[in-house]
Amino acid sequence: MFLTRSEYDRGVNTFSPEGRLFQVEYAIEAIKLGSTAIGIQTSEGVVLAVEKRITSPLMIPSTIEKIVEIDRHIGCAVSGLVADSRTLVDHARVECANHWFVYNEDMKVESVAQAVSNLAIRFGDSDDDGPAMSRPFGVAMLFAGLDKSGAQLYHMDPSGTFLEFGAKAIGSGSEGAQQSLQESYHKSMTLQEALKIALTVLKQVMEEKVSGSNVEVAAVTPEKGFHRYPQNEVEAIISNL
Amino acid sequence: MDSLEDIHTGFQFSNFARNETLVAKGFPMPKSRKTGTTIAGVVFKDGVVLGADTRATEGDIIADKNCSKIHYLQPNMYCCGAGTAADLVMTTQLMASQLELHRLNTGRQVPVVAANRMLKQMLFRYQGYIGAALVLGGVDKHGSHIYSIHPHGSTDRLPYTTMGSGSLAAMSVFEVHWKPDLELEEAKQLVRDAIAGGIFNDLGSGSNVDLCIITKDGATMLRPYDVANVKGQRQGKYIYKTGTTDILSTSVRPIQIVSETVRKVGEEEMETA
Amino acid sequence: MATEVMEVGDYMRDPRKHHFSPYMDNGGTTVAIAGDDFVMVASDLRLSRGFNIFSREQSKIFGLTPKTMLASTGCWADVLTLNKVLQARLTMYSHEHHDVMSTTAVAQLLSTMLYWRRFFPYYVSNILVGLDEEGKGVVYHYDPVGHMEKLTYSAAGASVSQIQPLLDNQIDALNMKNVTPPKMTKELAHQLIHDAFISAAERDINTGDGVIIHTITKEGTSEEKIKLRRD
Repeated sequence: MFLTRSEYDRGVNTFSPEGRLFQVEYAIEAIKLGSTAIGIQTSEGVVLAVEKRITSPLMIPSTIEKIVEIDRHIGCAVSGLVADSRTLVDHARVECANHWFVYNEDMKVESVAQAVSNLAIRFGDSDDDGPAMSRPFGVAMLFAGLDKSGAQLYHMDPSGTFLEFGAKAIGSGSEGAQQSLQESYHKSMTLQEALKIALTVLKQVMEEKVSGSNVEVAAVTPEKGFHRYPQNEVEAIISNL
Repeated sequence: MDSLEDIHTGFQFSNFARNETLVAKGFPMPKSRKTGTTIAGVVFKDGVVLGADTRATEGDIIADKNCSKIHYLQPNMYCCGAGTAADLVMTTQLMASQLELHRLNTGRQVPVVAANRMLKQMLFRYQGYIGAALVLGGVDKHGSHIYSIHPHGSTDRLPYTTMGSGSLAAMSVFEVHWKPDLELEEAKQLVRDAIAGGIFNDLGSGSNVDLCIITKDGATMLRPYDVANVKGQRQGKYIYKTGTTDILSTSVRPIQIVSETVRKVGEEEMETA
Repeated sequence: MATEVMEVGDYMRDPRKHHFSPYMDNGGTTVAIAGDDFVMVASDLRLSRGFNIFSREQSKIFGLTPKTMLASTGCWADVLTLNKVLQARLTMYSHEHHDVMSTTAVAQLLSTMLYWRRFFPYYVSNILVGLDEEGKGVVYHYDPVGHMEKLTYSAAGASVSQIQPLLDNQIDALNMKNVTPPKMTKELAHQLIHDAFISAAERDINTGDGVIIHTITKEGTSEEKIKLRRD
């Protein structure tokens, strides 16, 4: 990938003669350093599960927040530069709130992904209309939500590309995790099955031993909307793996 | 006493200062009924034809769907009115009585010019505050006459004229079709069409067409001459059963007659000189 | 002593009042009645100013989506502009969200659009009608600055003070003893709309010429025209 590396990796909006935007590709590389995050869509709802890297025993694990609520019907898991994700998450929240304000209805998951994508690709676009990020956002996101067309899972990377998935893994363990998801995913999966598979896959790809405190689990269901699983419930699932 | 003041002739202004104070304190003057109207008149071969619509309005609401706007002055003279309803009724009634006195005093038919003079002098005296716009028509020994009289007292003697909010609609009909020495039926049709122009194109005018035909043989009121608009037919019945209105409370109080006096009304003694 | 010359700037003069009246009342009356599986909306066809008639065949009803319609009266210039902007917003929504706007979404959008003009409002009385997610008829009534009320029937415009009390009495059976409100059928809605306009045209100079009635059901929409007096 870096064979043709040249001076063309300086400007964020400069194509190389081969037609590549190196800064975007580097940003995508940054995701691969991030912690693993998994999303699985079922007919009963969508599950999100992420790994928390506890790098020091003095760290308070509960302060790591890689799954966030966008609106009552949409959750989001992030991997990569988590600080960058805050900007995008704030944007998604504002879009959802504004959509509710203007239309009195829940924003569609695809529309949220589109809105965030619009911001993600505005890097280097500072002008009279306002400031923009000087570089691509070094973060990938999984949007899990429910709308008129049912439960949905969307993935977006630093290039702003967003696609719908049945199950998707991002972050450092994503290659292995995606392979495992492909083998175990099926359309008639229940939410409980999906939770179990998500944690099983995390267990496979995590360096640390999976526990109630080093994973974060959440789901979006028609009954409860977005909700996190408390540590004891996560531990119960892990003990049954 | 009020009743004594009222028998003085002329308008009373004794409430003026009080009303000004009330207006200044935010209590608005009551609005008088100023109605949109189409009125018209033409001279034809044997006399004159006067016409009017029959709508009376209060603001945007129709107060009377079949009011009469052609007023009697003399057997040979009628007058159409547009403007403030009370002013029109009182002015024409006052004029009718004064013309009648004039006829009795002179012992001959009153000429139309005289009525025109008396009306314009009265309206001029009140500087436009009597809101009457009139079309005066009549036949006398000098011939057939139509006058238009404006609220400030200016008048025109014309072969055909229109007044009121629908005057432009009506006049446009006259300008196209009027010609000298019209036959009676032609004149009736022309005035009808002119008034209909006002009825259909001026929102202040509506309902029916009234006509008044005056010749040397006298006057004929045709009311209505033409029912230009029929009332819409409702589909439903809106009848309420007895007892639909809730009686919230009832109290019965006897009328107590404290005392009864009988006053004898007898013939008063005639005064003799 | 030297003569004093004082410069008088514009800002030192007394304030002058400038008259600015951008609004105009073009009359027109609208009525809407909703039922369990339909909604009917009607407007008269007269467009006027003062004592003049501008048109005898101007409907005040605008189709927005296959399931929603808007009836607007007031300042006709504002009616046209509001509808044009609303149509554009509907198109933008369908492009952004790949879906036709629901009646509730249109209702909320209209409210926000009107409120953004809070201090220089669109001089328009709106009634939005449509079928909700379950196919039930709904009526939304607005004031010019975006206050929205969900109702089952409403009147607006020139003859509102004649028609609204009639509907309150005949549909909700208000102010009556021993009377139960009737079940709203298409036949009853049609009769009430017909009679309301017939009667309004008798007494209000700004209502007349004709009525157009639109009916929305899940099968689609239909329209009918009725003649009114033209004086």
